[in-house]
Amino acid sequence: MAISLATNAATDALALNRAPTSVGAQEVHKWMQDFNWDFKNNRTKYPTKYLMANDTKEQFKLIAKEYARMESVKDERQFGSLQDALTRMNAGNRVAPKWGETMKVVSNFLEVGEYNAIAASAMLWDSASAPEQKNGYLGQVMDEIRHTHQCGYVNYYFSKYFHDPAGHTDARRVRTLGPLWKGMKRVFADGFISGDAVECSINLQLVGEACFTNPLIVAVTEWASANGDEVTPTVFLSIETDELRHMANGYQTVVSIAHDPAAAKYLNTDLNNAFWTQQKYFTPVLGMLFEYGSKFKVEPWVKTWNRWVYEDWGGIWIGRLGKYGVQSPASLKDAKKDAYWAHHDLFLLAYAVWPTGFFRLALPSKEDADWFEANYPGWYDHYGKIYEEWRARGCEDPSSGFIPLQWFVENNHEIYIDRVSQVPFCPSLTKGASSLRIHEYNGKKHAFSDEWGERMWLSEPERYECQNVFEQYAGRELSEVIAELWGVRSDGVTLIGQPHVTKEGKLWTLDDIKRANCVFKDPLA
Amino acid sequence: MTTVNDNSYDAGIMSLNGKDFADEYFKEENQVVKESNTVVLVLKKSDEMDYIVEEMLVKIFQKKNPTLVIQDRGGYWWLKADNSIEIDCEYASDILGKPYTIYDLLVDVTSTVGRAYTFGSTFTITSELMGLDVKLQDVAA
Repeated sequence: MAISLATNAATDALALNRAPTSVGAQEVHKWMQDFNWDFKNNRTKYPTKYLMANDTKEQFKLIAKEYARMESVKDERQFGSLQDALTRMNAGNRVAPKWGETMKVVSNFLEVGEYNAIAASAMLWDSASAPEQKNGYLGQVMDEIRHTHQCGYVNYYFSKYFHDPAGHTDARRVRTLGPLWKGMKRVFADGFISGDAVECSINLQLVGEACFTNPLIVAVTEWASANGDEVTPTVFLSIETDELRHMANGYQTVVSIAHDPAAAKYLNTDLNNAFWTQQKYFTPVLGMLFEYGSKFKVEPWVKTWNRWVYEDWGGIWIGRLGKYGVQSPASLKDAKKDAYWAHHDLFLLAYAVWPTGFFRLALPSKEDADWFEANYPGWYDHYGKIYEEWRARGCEDPSSGFIPLQWFVENNHEIYIDRVSQVPFCPSLTKGASSLRIHEYNGKKHAFSDEWGERMWLSEPERYECQNVFEQYAGRELSEVIAELWGVRSDGVTLIGQPHVTKEGKLWTLDDIKRANCVFKDPLA
Repeated sequence: MTTVNDNSYDAGIMSLNGKDFADEYFKEENQVVKESNTVVLVLKKSDEMDYIVEEMLVKIFQKKNPTLVIQDRGGYWWLKADNSIEIDCEYASDILGKPYTIYDLLVDVTSTVGRAYTFGSTFTITSELMGLDVKLQDVAA
């Protein structure tokens, strides 16, 4: 019969050429690349001066099904650990007090970076034309949403279990108070999402992620563990499991433009600008948080920087691209000087303005001072003596009425804020690669701490108009500003920031700050 | 588990301290990047990853590539080697006694310095410039 003949024919054919019983994820990935559009006239909302090639590949061959399964396993493991074993072990309250304060900043500021990276990678999805490249960027959009939640969760977790939750509880409303905030917005927001799309990719993926997430998200877990914090490694190592795909995205951005003549013309300048932009903030801030925000030290920050930034990122990423015309960043020498000294410069200023923090700081102990001098010869004569003077004047005790910011005024050590990076610096005390330069533009004065930022400003002054904290609060008394920007605890009078981390130490209030009569002044006015 | 060679965590200048470190660090010749053909891999500790490190990377891969250094850094394994590091998930599946795909592996691959990619069941991180010097391959459909 006809049907039997057809059935037999089909059975015979399948015996020779068997139908697949399942299809591998990478076969699906390959098949889906055929669902492409004609991008000859790509109309992106986010143009670039570079031409991104139409055949760029994605290194991990991800499809949505495997992506979702992979990420759900990561979340199950992370939240399982946090909500089960770590809670039963009271892990959130076993953290060294100084480190618990450090995590108020690290987790909350990283959350802002992750949030802006959602927009940055979505922008790159729109700019690219190769389907695989788009697929890589799209995965990153979803990753960044996950990371934003994870960072918020770290603050939430500590707000439940850390012995001093103030700051973890309300970081989002109080974080804008101090001078560290606007510099963080420069690297984590402006650097990622404004300007040329490829330039943003270099900032976010090739420098921010491939270079600085290794110290920021990997090395930080060693410091956390050393200081009794098992919460941060659980979350941050899980975050970083997505970062390797983001690093690959950044590398593939370079691959996609490598043969465009514009790359020979612009890429080295864009790379140097991105490197300087990112290092100008991350280098001093991370070094300060690790070394001054910990009781137990892992290794000198300059060694962490030398390993992850100079040797590995420099040699393995940038060095290998040399034959395609990529050069060693011209600002590297100054960046190396910063990696040795700039975090010490920054802590001096951060401690001087401690009332503006949403975290507590502590003067280096005798043990800390010995460690600093052993690892940074010359530290004591330059910085250590100043801390001894501040301690002798009672800077930790509210009854002294002494805020170290007053010492800067008394000794004519003027503090400026670099217009481009928004990082504060004191030209008469700095040992990092900073020196004062001032320009006037449209009737307004602008201070700069280095030639690299100055160059960026000279070519695009309208891009760097952010008002710094001295301009913003000029003429206003410090306690008024703190109260207005929610820098107090739930009693409405005690500051969140404090100049010590001891449980028995007295806590400063708004009245104590008011008695010191510190008034903001713009040094350029 | 640790092998001391040029790829060790504290090799070269990193073994120096204080002024000796500073003198080397600030030398003029060390103010530009130097091309390196090494790769770095960071693996988050987990049941599966600890087994893969001990049974595959130490016992098998390190014999093929003696430049591979593996160090315990608390929450993660830090690996560095010349040229490349590979992990075959079909073999991992055999020794773990359960299905274990490349995407299961990626759950605990925390960071990379170098060009990392997947092909079939193999995860590779290489110093080669994938997509520039060497074409990234698709699996056969």
